[in-house]
Parts: sequence; C-alpha cells; structure tokens
Amino acid sequence: MKSSLIRGTLPTRTVALVASAALLALTACSAGSSTSPGSSPGGDQSLSVGLVAEPASLDFTTTDGAAIPQALLGNVYESLVKQDESGKIVPSLAKSWTVSPDRKTYTFDLVDNAKFSNDKPFTAADAVFSINRVKSAWTVSLKSAMDVVQEAKALSPTQLQVTLTKPSNGWLFRMTTRIGAMFSETGVSALATTPVGTGPFTFAKWNRGDSIVFERNENYWGTKPFFNQITLKYFKDPTALNNALLTGTINVIGTVQAPEALSQFTGNDKYQVIEGTTNGEVLLSFNNALPIFSDIRTRQGIRQAIDHRALLDTCFAGRGKLIGSMVPPTDPWSEDLTNVAPYDLAKAKSLLQASGAAGKTLRLRLPTLPYAISCGQVVKSQLEQAGLKVVIDQQEFPAQWLTTVFKNADYDLSIIAHVEPRDLGAVFNAKYYTRYDDPTLQQYLAAADAGDEAAQIDNMKKAARRISEQAAGDWLFLLPNLIVADKNLKGLPQNAITENFDLTRLARS
Amino acid sequence: MRRLNPSLVAGGLIVGLIVVMALVSFVWTPYDATLVDPVNRLAQPSWDHWFGTDKFGRDVLSQIMVGSRTTLFVGVVAVGVAAVIGVPLGILAAMARRWPAEIIMRTNDLLLAFPALLLAIMFGAVFGASTMTAMIAIGIASVPSFARVIRSGALQVMRTEYVLAARAAGRQPFPIAIRHVLPNVTSLITVQASVSFAIAVLAEAALSFLGYGTPPPTPSWGRMLQESQEFLFSAPRLAIFPGVAIAIAVLGFNLLGDGLRDRFDPKLEDRR
Repeated sequence: MKSSLIRGTLPTRTVALVASAALLALTACSAGSSTSPGSSPGGDQSLSVGLVAEPASLDFTTTDGAAIPQALLGNVYESLVKQDESGKIVPSLAKSWTVSPDRKTYTFDLVDNAKFSNDKPFTAADAVFSINRVKSAWTVSLKSAMDVVQEAKALSPTQLQVTLTKPSNGWLFRMTTRIGAMFSETGVSALATTPVGTGPFTFAKWNRGDSIVFERNENYWGTKPFFNQITLKYFKDPTALNNALLTGTINVIGTVQAPEALSQFTGNDKYQVIEGTTNGEVLLSFNNALPIFSDIRTRQGIRQAIDHRALLDTCFAGRGKLIGSMVPPTDPWSEDLTNVAPYDLAKAKSLLQASGAAGKTLRLRLPTLPYAISCGQVVKSQLEQAGLKVVIDQQEFPAQWLTTVFKNADYDLSIIAHVEPRDLGAVFNAKYYTRYDDPTLQQYLAAADAGDEAAQIDNMKKAARRISEQAAGDWLFLLPNLIVADKNLKGLPQNAITENFDLTRLARS
Repeated sequence: MRRLNPSLVAGGLIVGLIVVMALVSFVWTPYDATLVDPVNRLAQPSWDHWFGTDKFGRDVLSQIMVGSRTTLFVGVVAVGVAAVIGVPLGILAAMARRWPAEIIMRTNDLLLAFPALLLAIMFGAVFGASTMTAMIAIGIASVPSFARVIRSGALQVMRTEYVLAARAAGRQPFPIAIRHVLPNVTSLITVQASVSFAIAVLAEAALSFLGYGTPPPTPSWGRMLQESQEFLFSAPRLAIFPGVAIAIAVLGFNLLGDGLRDRFDPKLEDRR
C-alpha cells in the first residue's frame, strides 16, 4: 500500500484500477513481515525457525511469558537436570545425583568441563549462586518453587549439595524448568539483552521485532549442535508464517497457528508435518477475586455454556485435544475429566440466572495471539447465548496483556495457553492472575509434593478434579504440537512437553 | 437543460446503496452477524446463506451489511476530523501574512510526507488498535490534502473584487473568512470530502487487515479479508465478497467525487 494512494485526488481514469487493485493491495500487505535468512554464513549449516509471540525481554528472571524460555532454555542456558522427550528427568550439567533417605538432601556431581559463554568455568559455586539468586533477585511468580530450598552448598568445584526444608517431589522437576537455569555470577548484569549461559548455542544478536540469532558454541562441553547458526524469526500473522515456509524464508514453522491452511503442506513432498501433543492448556481464565465469580454457579454456568468440541473445530480446525482440567495427557496423573462440566446450554442458563450473573457484562481481555482472538469470538458468542454480555478487549501481547491481565489482574475473563509443565499449582493460587484461593486445593498439592510417588499421583488427581469441579477456570483445549519443516530436517520433537524449543538436536539428513 | 453527469449518477447510486445497506442493517440482517454457528461453518452460498458462512459459521452477507456501517462510520469521522482541522488551516494560510502562512504550509508539507498508513499503525501501536484510533489517524493523515486544496481555493476568493471591497471597507479577517471565503470554497470541500472518504474506506480496510483497525468481533470488511487468508484456496469466496465490497465502495466514492468536481467546475462541465 503506497501513501500516494491515500492522498490527493484520483483521476477518473484510475478509479477502476484503484478499485480492482483494492483486494490485491490488501492481500499483499500480509507478506511484508520478514526478510530473507540468506545472509547467514555457512550455507546449509544455518537454519531459520518461524515462531509467534516474540519475547518482550530476554530475562526470564524478571519477565513472565513462555517465549523467553522457549528460545533460551536448553539452547543458551542449561540446568542441572533436564527432561527427555518422555518426560523423564535426565542429567545435564549434573552428571548424577543422590537423594538422602529423608528425601531432603540432594547431592549433585557436576560436569567439570562446562564453560559459560563469557569464558568463565561452570562450578558448584555458580550453581549455588544461581539457586540463591532465584530467591533473592527473581521477581516472576514461578520463583516460589525455590522456596523449599533451605540451603545450597558447594562441597567442591564439582559437587553441590542442596538441602530442602521438607521432602518435595516437585523441586527436582522444577529444576528442569527455567528456575533451574545456571547463571554465571559475572554474566547477569544485562540479562534482558545479553544472556550468558553454558549451552550449546551462544546468543549472537536480537533484531527487535524480527529475529533472535544464535551461534554454535564452539567451546561447548557436550555434543556440539549440527547448525552453526540458527535464527528464530517471529511473526504476528499466522498466514505470513505459513507463507514464509512456502517461500523458503524459514525452514521450520515451530508452532503452526493457522491449522486450517495445513493442507498446503500435508500433500507436498517438500515438507514434513509433525503432529503431537504439548503442555499448552488453553485456559479461559476467570478473575476469581471478583464478586461475580465468588458464586460457583456462575463459574459452572460459564463452563457448561461452552461447547468445547465445537469451539475446537471452529477456532483450531479440530486439532488439539479436549481436556477437563489443568493436566495434559502426558502427565502421570492425567485422567479424563471432560465429563465434569459437559456442554448443556439450558443448565448453563439456569445456573447463571440462579447466581444473578445473567445479563451482566464481562470483559474478555484477549492477548493478540491468533488462537486467543479466534477462540475469544466463539466464547463470546456462546456465553451470550447463555445470557451473559461479553465485551472483547484486545491487549497487545506480550507487554500490554502481561501488565494489565497477568500482573494487575485487571480483567474478568481472558484466554491464554499455559505451556509450563506441571503448572496446576502455579496457575491456581491466590497470588497468580487467576486469584484462585482454595485451601482444599492447596492441601492436595502439599500432600502431592510431600508424599511418595503413589501419593503424589493420587493427590494430583484429586487436585485436578477439584479445580474442574469447582470450575476455577475453563479448559478450552490442549494445544497440539504442530510443526511443519523442510523434509530433510531431523530432530524435531514429536511432543512439546518442556518449556524450550530444543534446537540442539536439529540436523539435516 | 443540463446533461446528466454519468460519474455523479453512478457514484451517487453506489454510495446510496451502501448507505441504505448500512441503515437497513440496524433493523434487519439475515442473521446475527456475530453469532457463531459451528454446525454451519464454511457453508457454501445457498438460499439460506446467500454468500455462505465463514469459519465461525457466521453469515457472510450479514457481516458485509454490518461491515458497511463500520466503513461509513470511519469515513464520516475521518473526513470530519480532516475537514474540521484542514479547512480552517487552509483558509488561514490563504489569508495570513507571509511568514505565518509559510509555517502553516511547511508544517502541512511535513505531515504530507508522512505515509498515512504508517501514521495510523503508529497510533494503533501507541493507543491500541480500535476503530476510533483508526478514524482519528486517517483523519489526521487527510488534513494536509484538505488544507492544501482549500488554501488554493481561498487564495482565488481573496483576489475577487468583493473581498477586496470588504477589506477596503475595513472588515475584519474573521468575518471575511466566514461570510465570503468559506461559502465560496464549499464546493471544493464537498469534492475533497468525497475523495477523502474513498481513501478512508481503503485505509480502514488496510488497517483492519493488518490488525490495527476494527477489532473482532465487530464486522469489518478489512478484517473479513484478513480472516479469509487461511481459506484463499479452499474457500476463496470469503476473500472475494469483502474484497468486492471494498472495491465497489472505493469506486462509488471516487465516482461521486469526480462527478461533484465536474458539476461544481463550469470549465470542466463545458469541456464535456
């Protein structure tokens, strides 16, 4: 669209041309959000991955949002332990570890040849620094997972001892997530722009609004990655993301956001389509601190007003999985809870009438993410059929949504995918933006954390059922892991069950 | 008897049709334009749904009808903003002494150098995407063309004998502007408003297409186009209907503008 079309008078002769060009001109507007990756050196050794939702900062210690660990964790930062694709905790910077009989003391044997990208060697002192820093300097809500740590101590440069205040099933698992990332004491001065880690890639540059570039860490202590340079390119428009792959601008669509257009790739020999599962529960969140949500009938009425199957078919082309609580099927305590609040419009209407919510207006504050905008329109329509009035208010993602909804809880309803693994307890508590204060739930979660494996599974099942029956929110569906990539690319994950997009295993066949 | 001006007639008919469609949509549409109907999603055109349905099962014809309201609303407000600011500025620049006039017109040139869509996107980024933001941004971007056109007309009026006589009689500038200049540039304002209306329609559609205009679920032709991208190959009608609506609206307002210009300009009228 040229400015000359916007200004001045248009002579009669050009009128027809302008009119007929309108559609073409508008359609052309979508293609301009990316540039060619051809500038990267190394020919086939470089790769470009298309993603949505660019991070607002590179510092996940002070900024919430899944995009930062998605890009950095496992690639630039490493943790002591990590999850494999089956969800099992496996060694990373810790070669091995032992747990004391009382399950309160963990002793880690660390690798002795890891180095940070600022050339400082990784030692147990760095691990102590990193663990203590979560408690002292982190500001994101997820830091509470480290509250259980009583003391972290370096027994030697390669041996770390962590003592917990009480036995915790969750702590070691949480160490596989962003709070387990290891930092250098001399590398935390500019985390928002210059991450320093021990990972197989080093951070090269961040072109804001466009891409983040990683380079292979030639001093990496483990197996070096195949690609010497990987560019993460960020797109706001899902169709532009698809077009970028079709035109060769990128090699991988990390998360397909326009599943209706997937047929462009499925029948094409140039591409492979991977479809698996994720941890991404798409949650219709309620601001439980508001009086209107204090009545369980309102919450249940909203849940039963939503036809989840129709919603999934409409806003995500039927891909994904219906879930009835905050548990993906890959977790050991997963069970089918979709029948707890089945779609029943008549019942929903009567519940909303009984609670006095019928006729009230709710603000549905949506992040500007494709799935949220799509699903929001369906939710609005279905809730209005049940007697509520819903006003959609788009919030620019991440900055505006994170401030308004996530930080200030200034919302009635919202929609976002929570992609952190095993995040039931993190999402449903009084301090989180859901403002869900339920002592019974906290009892189940505490018992699950403290008990043995059987007790953990049993209590997590109770917790999942509790939030479903209490309608603490509504789980619209579970995002599928939809990846489209060049045919000759290997190492792409079937299921995305961790916080990071693992670039280290990618290679060309 | 004067010959009928074909541009004026065609433009008037098209614009009239859009206005009628928008007015009718306040009292009747085939379906609720925002009602999601998953059972009928992506339905082909039929007697039930003349233009078919979109991926949400919403009736496309109803959306086109309600979308015309957005189009007209944006056009009216944007042109109103541009006229309210641009016309006084143009007259002031014509009547002011050299330096003040220069400052006004050079500032005008500066604004003219700024691409309208870029300005609107900037507004959207700062104040959030909304119809109001789009309208004001488009309106501000249209101010320079109003000011420039009105200034040139006002300069001609200022050289007429009756204005010279009024000035010689000691009349103050403001009464001269209101009593003599403004009435004589009304035809220019009308023509410019019509042309700016077409530009505003196209700009709003472009902004909504890019996600900086009318937010969902309010029907907007530009956003309908944007949402149709996923279906360009499987259901191209979803792009064709709003695309054609935009094209016809732009065509209509431009024809109307051309016709009005011919009608108000005796020289052009004689040439025909």
